[in-house]
Amino acid sequence: MSINVLLSTIILVSFVVTLILAVGSYMAYKVRERRRPAMIRPGEGDEPVFFERFFPSRTEVVPVERDDRAR
Amino acid sequence: MTRVRARYLLVLLAGVFLLLVVAAVMSAAMAGAPLQADSAALRIGIGIVLTFLVLLVLRYFALLWLGYLQHIESESLASEYDGAAPTPAVTLIVPAFNEAPVIQSAIRSLLELDYPAYEVLVIDDGSTDETYVRAAELEGRHGGVVVRVVSKANAGKANALNTGIALARHPFVVCMDGDSRLDRGTLAAAMRHFTDPKVGAVAGNVKVCNRDSMWTRLQALEYIEGLNMARRAQGFLRVVNIIPGPIGIFRRETLAAVGGYDSDTFAEDADLTLKILTGGWHVVYEDRAIAYTEAPESLLDLIKQRYRWTRGILQALRKRAKWLAVPKGGFSVWASLLAMLFEAVLWPVMNIVGNLFFVVAALTAGAADFVVYWWILLTLLDVAAALHTVAMEEEDLSLVPYAVIYRFFFVVLIDVAKLFATVDELLHVKMSWGKLERVGRL
Repeated sequence: MSINVLLSTIILVSFVVTLILAVGSYMAYKVRERRRPAMIRPGEGDEPVFFERFFPSRTEVVPVERDDRAR
Repeated sequence: MTRVRARYLLVLLAGVFLLLVVAAVMSAAMAGAPLQADSAALRIGIGIVLTFLVLLVLRYFALLWLGYLQHIESESLASEYDGAAPTPAVTLIVPAFNEAPVIQSAIRSLLELDYPAYEVLVIDDGSTDETYVRAAELEGRHGGVVVRVVSKANAGKANALNTGIALARHPFVVCMDGDSRLDRGTLAAAMRHFTDPKVGAVAGNVKVCNRDSMWTRLQALEYIEGLNMARRAQGFLRVVNIIPGPIGIFRRETLAAVGGYDSDTFAEDADLTLKILTGGWHVVYEDRAIAYTEAPESLLDLIKQRYRWTRGILQALRKRAKWLAVPKGGFSVWASLLAMLFEAVLWPVMNIVGNLFFVVAALTAGAADFVVYWWILLTLLDVAAALHTVAMEEEDLSLVPYAVIYRFFFVVLIDVAKLFATVDELLHVKMSWGKLERVGRL
């Protein structure tokens, strides 16, 4: 058996095994995501995805007043 | 059809024609190769795969060359100002959702930046842990830096950043992740670029901080080699197509003009970058604007991250499908969008299909030699690119040997995840946002 054939066998076996591992890992990831309680993004779920434009004046925030505190 | 549209169509057709010519030449060359392939389809297939190899090599050379030009330009810009660069005031926006383990160290690190005028604005995105309480403990004036903390109902990172943009008091803002840590010289290095009024944003340099396992060291190399190489090249052309989530520096005026972040993709950073580019602004790269981030430590978390990135990028591109077909922002913006599509979809597909094809060719046509040369060439390219980029970034040389594992395993694992993400996105498979669990190494 020549060195090239030996190397190519190693490469091919590695590639095929990695490919199987990759598909297996993806399946495992999918299974894990299904079991975990999913955190659906805002705007998802039954509602259609929509383009939410940014309007600064509509932004509601609760500022906390704590100024001039020493380091 | 306008002249511009016709010109771009011509460039596309010329590109496809060139690839077909290369494939034909490769197929013809195969005729003289010592293959036992009677099938014409197999020979044509090998020709196509070798064309992919030519494309790969050309891509490497183009990226390395443009990246090197960017490096020279960046050095020149740094020496031009040499401590006398303008220092406009900046607001650092830190969106935080359940970042209790890391939020205080993240804020403290931001107080140490080497920059004269900035504030830190923490947006607690309705955390269910102690994020707000811990952040609020650091609220107030710290020397010349003011830390503000606001709390709002949970609505996602994009919304939190938009809130920060609205509340920012300065004309420039830094958008980052709650767990990012910035290098001291980040702001000074990035702000130099804004002396050019066309520059709307600066993409920073993201580095992996938790390099204590094989997975994270591989990602550290990937960030240095893969991401920075492409980003440097795009930066030279002023068309960086992804401003990374952990470090993006923006003109507030630019963000207002494009409408801030949208919430309808899973990659809001890529989406915003495309909005800025297609809005006519330049997006540049600054390698000295460094942010450290935690990389996923397990394989499944890594797959989850790449799956989300790929779907997010495809969603962002789909929103601009017309731009891909009818470019409006100049050749470089169009090329940058195409490159994004290429890297997200075509590249992984070609990589997997190419490798699979070699398996078939080797088993059926005695192409074992070609398999060895193929892998040696790819690995050499990766090692050369790793050496080049690690040296340019003055990074840890012990990462370079990982380039071999990178080609053998890492790329295949990532490309399979990208392939599945592409299929799921095309089939509109429902997906949850999720959140990468932080272990608080920063």
